[in-house]
Amino acid sequence: MNPPILVLVLAGGKSERLHALGRVRTSSALPFGGKYRVIDFTLSNCAHSGLFRVGILTQYAPLSLQGHIGIGKPWDLDRRDGGVRLLPPYVRQRETNWYRGTADALIQNRNVIEDAQARHILVLSGDLIYKMDYGRLVERHESAGAALTIVTTAAPGSEADRYGYVATDGDGRVEALEEKPSSPAGETISAGVYLFRARDLQTWLEKPGLGPDLVKDIVQPMIRKGDRVVAYEHADYWRDVGTIDAYYEANMELLRPVPTLTLHDPDWLIYTPSEDRAPAVVTGDGDVSGSLVAHGAHVEGTVHRSILFPGVHIAPGALVEDSIVMHDARILSGARLSKAIVDKGVRIGERALVGTGESTPNREFPRDLSSGLCVIGKGSEIPAGGSIGRNTLVEIGVREVDLASGAVPSGVVVRGRAAAR
Amino acid sequence: MSHVSYAMILAGGLGSRLCLLSEKRAKPAVPFGGKYRIIDFTLSNCVNSGIFDIGILTQYRPLSLRDHIGLGRAWDLDRKRGGVELLQPFQGWAESDWYRGTADAIWQNWDRVVERKAEHLLVLSGDHVYRMDYRPMIEAHLQRGADATVAITEVPLDQASQFGVVKTDAAGWITGFLEKPKNPPSGKISMGVYVFRTAALREEMELDAMRATAHDFGKNIVPSLVERGRVLAFPAYGYWQDIGTLDSFYRANLDLVTPEPPFPLQDVRWPIFTPSTEYPPARLGTRAHVRSSIVTHGTIVNGTVERSVLFPGVVVEEGAVVRDSIIMGESWIGPRAELDRCILDKRVHVGRAAKIGVGESLRPNRACPEHLSAGLTIVGKASRVPEGLVIGRNVRVAPDMVEEDFPAGEVECGEVLEREGESAHAGSGS
Repeated sequence: MNPPILVLVLAGGKSERLHALGRVRTSSALPFGGKYRVIDFTLSNCAHSGLFRVGILTQYAPLSLQGHIGIGKPWDLDRRDGGVRLLPPYVRQRETNWYRGTADALIQNRNVIEDAQARHILVLSGDLIYKMDYGRLVERHESAGAALTIVTTAAPGSEADRYGYVATDGDGRVEALEEKPSSPAGETISAGVYLFRARDLQTWLEKPGLGPDLVKDIVQPMIRKGDRVVAYEHADYWRDVGTIDAYYEANMELLRPVPTLTLHDPDWLIYTPSEDRAPAVVTGDGDVSGSLVAHGAHVEGTVHRSILFPGVHIAPGALVEDSIVMHDARILSGARLSKAIVDKGVRIGERALVGTGESTPNREFPRDLSSGLCVIGKGSEIPAGGSIGRNTLVEIGVREVDLASGAVPSGVVVRGRAAAR
Repeated sequence: MSHVSYAMILAGGLGSRLCLLSEKRAKPAVPFGGKYRIIDFTLSNCVNSGIFDIGILTQYRPLSLRDHIGLGRAWDLDRKRGGVELLQPFQGWAESDWYRGTADAIWQNWDRVVERKAEHLLVLSGDHVYRMDYRPMIEAHLQRGADATVAITEVPLDQASQFGVVKTDAAGWITGFLEKPKNPPSGKISMGVYVFRTAALREEMELDAMRATAHDFGKNIVPSLVERGRVLAFPAYGYWQDIGTLDSFYRANLDLVTPEPPFPLQDVRWPIFTPSTEYPPARLGTRAHVRSSIVTHGTIVNGTVERSVLFPGVVVEEGAVVRDSIIMGESWIGPRAELDRCILDKRVHVGRAAKIGVGESLRPNRACPEHLSAGLTIVGKASRVPEGLVIGRNVRVAPDMVEEDFPAGEVECGEVLEREGESAHAGSGS
C-alpha cells in the first residue's frame, strides 16, 4: 500500500510577463501544444504516478481552468474517494481574505490538509511542463527520512531572475535555496515540486504570524533551521512558460524532428478533455509541413513549422510560418503570419501581414517582446490589408475600428477602445 | 414537445459486402472518416434531434460495437432516465432464439417498447452516413395521422435496385414498396428511417411473427403495412450514403476530402459525436506533404499523403507515398512504401519500400469478384506486409498475416492472400 499523499497544485497565479496571453487566464490554463493546457502535464503526472487526491488552488481568472478541469474525468480524477477539488478563496465569518501568497493559500486550506490525513503533502505548480513519476520521488523522500524534498533541475535558460537556485552538500542535503539571485552559483534550480512530510508542513502552517510565501516563509526557514531538507534531481525535460519567449520556445521545441518532449509516448500520454471536433482536414491547395495540427482544423492555405489548435481555419492563399494559432482563430485568404502568437477567436483579415518588417524591441515592454514575436490577444480582429510589425502586442478584443490606420509598426502596444475606458 | 422519445437502432447486420472490414465487427462498428464508426452518425442524429432514449439491437460480432458505445458518454447518453442500451439476443424461460431478422429483433425486445408506453416509435438503421433532424419527420407523421412514416431520398435509377423503392401518390402517401426490385420504377428509395405508430406496428409484427417470412422491416413489415394501412413518405434532402459495399464505403470516405465536401464534418451546428482517443495532435514532419486529406490525432506523417483518410495513430514514414487510400488506426507505412487506392484495416504494418495497388490490370478478385473489381486493394487487420513486396489491384489480404505467409515476388491483380490452410470465407459474398 502506497503512503497516502495529498497533492496541492498552485494554479492561481497571475503572469504579468505573459501580457495579453496571461490576462484572460491563469498561466496554468494557457493552451499548449495544439490541444493541451499547461496544467495537463502536472495532472497527467499525477494520474501516471497513481496520485488521485488532488486539490487545485485557484484565484486569478479561474474560469478557463475550472471549465477545463470539470470533474477531472480525463485524469481519472472523478472518484468516489479522493478525486479533484478546486480550492478557491472563500468568505469566512472572521477574517476573509484573498490568498496573499502561496503559503497563505495553504494556511487558508489547513482544514483540507488536516482532513486528508495524508502522510505527505506534494505541492506542485500548475504552470510547469515536465513529465515525472512522483512515486519514485516519494520513495526517495521516505528512505531519506526527509521533512521536505525539493525537486531540482538544470536551469533551462539564462534568465536567472526567474528561478530559485539550490545549493546542496555532497549527500544531497539542501544547504540553501536562493530566489532570483543576481549572480547564481551553479545551474541547479528548484523545479517547483515540493514534497513535505505532512506533520512538518502542518506544524509550520499553524505558526502564528507566518508570512504568505511558501519559499520565503516556509522552505527557506526550514533549511536554515536545520530540518532535513533533501534534493531530488529531475534530469529530464523541464520548462517554465512564464514569459512570452519561454512559452513560444517550449511550443516550437515540439516541432523539432526529434522533440525534446514527446507527446506520443504511449506509456505517458498527456491527458486532456478532448473536444468533439471533426478530424483535421487539408483541402484544395492546402499544404502543411513541420507542424502540429489539432482536430477541427481546416487548412486550405500553407502552414510551415506551426501549431494549429482545434477549429483553426487557414483560408486559401494564406501563409502561416513559425506561429502558434489558438482555438477557432480564422486566418483569411492571402494573410501572412510569421512568428505570431494568435490567441483564441482572433480574425486576421484578408491579405493582412502579421509579424512583418524590422524588429524594434517593444517600447513599453522591451524585456518581454524583443525577439521578433508578435502577440494578438484573444478575440482581436486585424483588418483586411492591415499590417502588424514584429515585437508588437495587440491587446485583447481589439476591433477593426481600433486599427483604422491599418499599419502598426514594430514594437508597439495596440489597445482597444473598450479596454482604454 | 415531441411524442416520440424512444428510438431503436438496427445494428446486427453481417455486412458481408464490406468484405474483410466487417469480418470481425458488425457493420455499424466499421471505422469511418478518420475518427468515427458508422453508427456515430445515427446516434448523433438522435441526440441532436433531442432523442436520448435508445436501444441498439445487435447480434453479429457485437464486441467492437459494445466497446465503442460503452456507457454512451460520448453522446451524452449515460443517463439515469433513458440513455443507451445494447439489446442482444437472450435466452428466455419458454422461448429463446437468435434474431431471425430485423423485425424479429425488435419483436423479441417488445417489452422495452411496452415499458415506455410509447405511442410512436422511431426505428433506424445503424449503417448509413447521413445527417438528419428527425423532428420534422416526426411532426409530419403525427400531423398526418400515419401508421408509419418512411424517410425517402433520391438515388440514380441504376442504383435504386439495391434499396427499397417507394411509390407515392400526390398527397405523399406510399402506394407501393418494393424491396430491392430488379427494375426499379424510380430512384425514390427508403432511407431506412421509420416512425411507427406503436399499435399499428404491433399488429403487423404479430401477423408477421406467425408467417414464415424473413422477419425483415424492408422486405416484410413495411410492404405489408403499405397494403393495409396509411404509410407516409417523408422526403429528406441532403447527403445520405448507405455503406453497403466496399465501393460505397470507399467513395463516402473520399467524398470527405473533396474541395467542396457534400458532408462537412466540421459543422458545429450538427456535431458528430464519438469517443475521442487520447492522442496528441497530428504531427506533420518537415518533409511531409499532405494534400486533400484527413489527418487525425496521433498520426505522424513524414512522407507524402494525397486524397486520403488517416485514422488515429497512423504513421507514414519518410519517402512513403499514400494516395487515394483509407488507412485505419495505428497502421504503419514504412519508409519509401507506396500505396495507391488501398483500404488498410487497423494495425497493418507495411514494410519499407513495399508497393500496394500496382498495375493496370483490373482483373476482379478471385474470391469476391462482385465486391473487389474497381481497383481497390484491401489489407486485413494487423497483417504485416513484407519489405519490398509488390501487390497488385483488386487484391484481398487476410487479417493477421505475418511476413512469412506472403509469397515471394509479385502478387498479381485479383489475388487472394491468406494463411496456409485457411480459406477464410472464399465465395461467401452474399
